[in-house]
Amino acid sequence: MAELLLIVGGVAAGAFGALLGLGGGVLIVPLLTLGFGLPLRESVGASLVCVIVTSSAAASVYLQRDVANLRLGMTLEMFTAIAAMAGGLVAFLVPDRVLALMFAALLAYVAVTMARARDARDGRVAQDAADAPGDAPREAAEDAERRPGGTNTAGDGGLIASLSGPGYRVRNLGLGVLGSLVAGVVSALFGVGGGIVKVPVMNLIMGVPIRVATATSNLMIGVTASAGALIYLFRGGIDPYVAAPTALGVFAGASLASRLSHRVDLGTLRLLFVAVLVVTAAQMALRGIG
Amino acid sequence: MKAGRLERTVGLVLGVGAIVSVALLAMGIAGMWAAHVGPLDRPFPPFDLGRLPVDLASLKAAGFLWLGLLAVILTPSFRVIASLVGFAAAGERRMVAVAVVVLAAICLSAALGAGG
Repeated sequence: MAELLLIVGGVAAGAFGALLGLGGGVLIVPLLTLGFGLPLRESVGASLVCVIVTSSAAASVYLQRDVANLRLGMTLEMFTAIAAMAGGLVAFLVPDRVLALMFAALLAYVAVTMARARDARDGRVAQDAADAPGDAPREAAEDAERRPGGTNTAGDGGLIASLSGPGYRVRNLGLGVLGSLVAGVVSALFGVGGGIVKVPVMNLIMGVPIRVATATSNLMIGVTASAGALIYLFRGGIDPYVAAPTALGVFAGASLASRLSHRVDLGTLRLLFVAVLVVTAAQMALRGIG
Repeated sequence: MKAGRLERTVGLVLGVGAIVSVALLAMGIAGMWAAHVGPLDRPFPPFDLGRLPVDLASLKAAGFLWLGLLAVILTPSFRVIASLVGFAAAGERRMVAVAVVVLAAICLSAALGAGG
């Protein structure tokens, strides 16, 4: 019975996350901690597994459609992976109650970000239309045809040029590296993908179109979460009896959501999600206060 | 390797990895049901690479669960290895170096986790 509840909870978290552009990790940790009474660290370990599964499945599609920027993603994930390693080590030193309070703060931040997303999204859509008109996968495919010798160096051999894509030029790489370090620590500490940090950094600071930023962030999540998950795996922070059914549910939920996304009123869903996050943040804060 | 083709190949590696992982996890969950093991039962079987072949040979749920979880966690590393090979074939030395650093970070994580 508990397996079924875990799978159903995973389906809900995966579907919610996929519909709203999150990995679902932000919901899985509270689900396991508050709903099933698991220790926070084991919940984070299970959540990292779920986040990797959804990232691998989604990034596979993004890469095959040429939406994700592989070179930019791999360059930034050098830093997310190193930071995730550090975050994973720190997670085993921080007391459970402190971690719960920090998680509550993260949930509150995500809730505020989601509540303000509507206005920001309108602005970004307009910006994207100016940045990269037309269909991104098609343009990427056309750009691939133009690249000499299969390299993405755009002629000048420069680092920035090699990381840029069709219709946009990467800027502020240093700030991107900084954002990646933050995202890596956040991922390993809280069992999330870190897209809530990476996507705004890539889009607003580095000038990457939102669609490419989302796809590239998704690609990076796998390696980032993997670096953190290995620490949890070897230190006994992953419970296979919990992680497996939850990951299966999240995978099914995310797959289902990709087919239902055009039928769902995302505005209402976002409001509901914000309400869930606020209540969950309060419960996590109470757990932290003890 | 042509650009675009590399992305498709790397995407294929991720897709296959995800499907294999989920299949192994599903087999492990079926094994849990068959053995009447609940997800909240304690203690959970510890991760032990040495025991994995034995558990798999005796069709124990723990063997499939741990193999599935390993497949999940290592799939992104296989993606990095596939990228490394593709970049090397295309003569993109900078990206080869990037891929090597990413793999080194993942290996270091495993070493630090195991060493702790």
